[in-house]
Amino acid sequence: MEKKLAMVIDSFACIDCKACQAACKEANKVPKGQWRNWIKTPDVEAVAKNGKRMLFQPGNCMQCEKPTCVEACPTGATYKDPLDGTVRIDRRLCIGCGQCLPACPYGARYRHPELKVADKCDFCAERRSNGLEPACVSTCPNKARVFGDLNDSGSMVRKLLETGNAVQIVNNKSNTDPHIYYLGDPGAKDWPVKAQMPSAFAFWKNLAGPVMKGFVGLSALGVGAMLVKQFMMPNDTPNKKDEGGNKDA
Amino acid sequence: MHNRMIKRHDQPSILIHWFNAACWFFLLATGLGLISNPALQPIVQWWPKLMRDLFGGGAALLKVHIIVGVVWAGIWLIFIIAGIARYTLPFLKQIMTYKLPRDIQWMIKKNIQMTLGYKNMARMVKLLGWNGEIPDQGFYNAGQKAAAVGMIAGAVVLVVTGVIMAISKVYLSSAQTPLVQWSITIHYMAAAVTFGILLIHIYMAAISSEERPAFISMFTGEVPEEYARHHHKLWYEKVDI
Ligand code: HEM
Repeated sequence: MEKKLAMVIDSFACIDCKACQAACKEANKVPKGQWRNWIKTPDVEAVAKNGKRMLFQPGNCMQCEKPTCVEACPTGATYKDPLDGTVRIDRRLCIGCGQCLPACPYGARYRHPELKVADKCDFCAERRSNGLEPACVSTCPNKARVFGDLNDSGSMVRKLLETGNAVQIVNNKSNTDPHIYYLGDPGAKDWPVKAQMPSAFAFWKNLAGPVMKGFVGLSALGVGAMLVKQFMMPNDTPNKKDEGGNKDA
Repeated sequence: MHNRMIKRHDQPSILIHWFNAACWFFLLATGLGLISNPALQPIVQWWPKLMRDLFGGGAALLKVHIIVGVVWAGIWLIFIIAGIARYTLPFLKQIMTYKLPRDIQWMIKKNIQMTLGYKNMARMVKLLGWNGEIPDQGFYNAGQKAAAVGMIAGAVVLVVTGVIMAISKVYLSSAQTPLVQWSITIHYMAAAVTFGILLIHIYMAAISSEERPAFISMFTGEVPEEYARHHHKLWYEKVDI
């Protein structure tokens, strides 16, 4: 059976040490100035006001069940891996058009400055193929990140979800059903950023697509009409007995 | 009257026409195969899958599409430059010269005649105060000229947007990606418009019985005198036989 790889992240356990970010950079050769993962910190003033303990919200590509980035890719260069449910990028098919970048509400994607293709977390596909866990998971000193297969009833992630305490952090208007779940009060469950379909993509999908289909359809209709006529009137000739032309029309 | 043959197309024109047509079908098939997004795929969902299975995956499909596109445009560029005086300029002049009242009348009358027949056409154009005779045409008729202009415009747009997409991963920065994004959409639109024109072109050339001699001439280079006199009279009157 296929896997559904996921992470459950415990905000109580995260101490914002950034070891996961460093390990990720190292493991995936993430270029300077870019990150495949992050730790969101809450607004300090708000915390001071209501006297709550600071909570951190580590994140990375959520390997969503309904990925809007995949929806924004014309060619399937970014796609959902049918075997493990992760969202992957085929760097050889990707032309680096960047339409998937704003389509991700979490900002998990960037355009690789040297390769010029989209790049993001893939739950450390290379490490996984060697039997290792993602680098951020292995390296976390407080074991705030738990990684596993949601389709495996014995897995830790599955057991944690079954407690009913794990939450998804999503934008109401573009719920992508992310496969990163949070425990321990990670802050607001409402993600502020909505997935944006780039205008060139929206134009194609909503306007150019139907209009072009209509145009080609009309042309095909014309051909159909001519075909029918050719069968119905095989001996269609001009009225006059001459060659049917006149020079001074 | 015996039906002599008149030279209509020379060997290089015939060769480039069929080279172009072959490239077009290949690029159309592979290009449609690149659109695997169900929201954008205009024909059927299994087409991208079939193309990818055939060529060994999406990346390989993209590669052959680019290679054939570059070869197609490259051969054209050589032909256009090498044949500038002999082919390019005369052809452009040919397809861009319109005798307006005559060509408009031809377009309207011919379209009605091709779908409803001569009798109905004559009856209908009477309402416009015209007689039922289809105006004489030159080497190309108004429809062929308009189609050729459309196909060339489509090709230019396809080449420009195709080059932009092909160099995106090599030369273009993140700030330039909107250019790439619009190129994708416009490439699709240019291909669709050209394809719409091609449907008519191919019907007229390969299926319509009236134009059968023209089809044969795209292989042999010659048309019967009777065909030339009937379909391209203004040209027929100028050629020496
Ligand atoms: C099965 C495919 C095709 C067939 C059977 C076909 C047939 C022909 C024929 C018979 C002619 C000569 C007409 C004449 O002598 O008056 C012609 C001309 C021409 N063909 Fe094609 N063709 C095909 C595909 C294409 C494609 C794919 C293109 C371009 C994308 C194209 C572009 C042209 C152009 C520009 C001309 C010049 C005259 C005109 O505009 O009709 N053809 N074709």
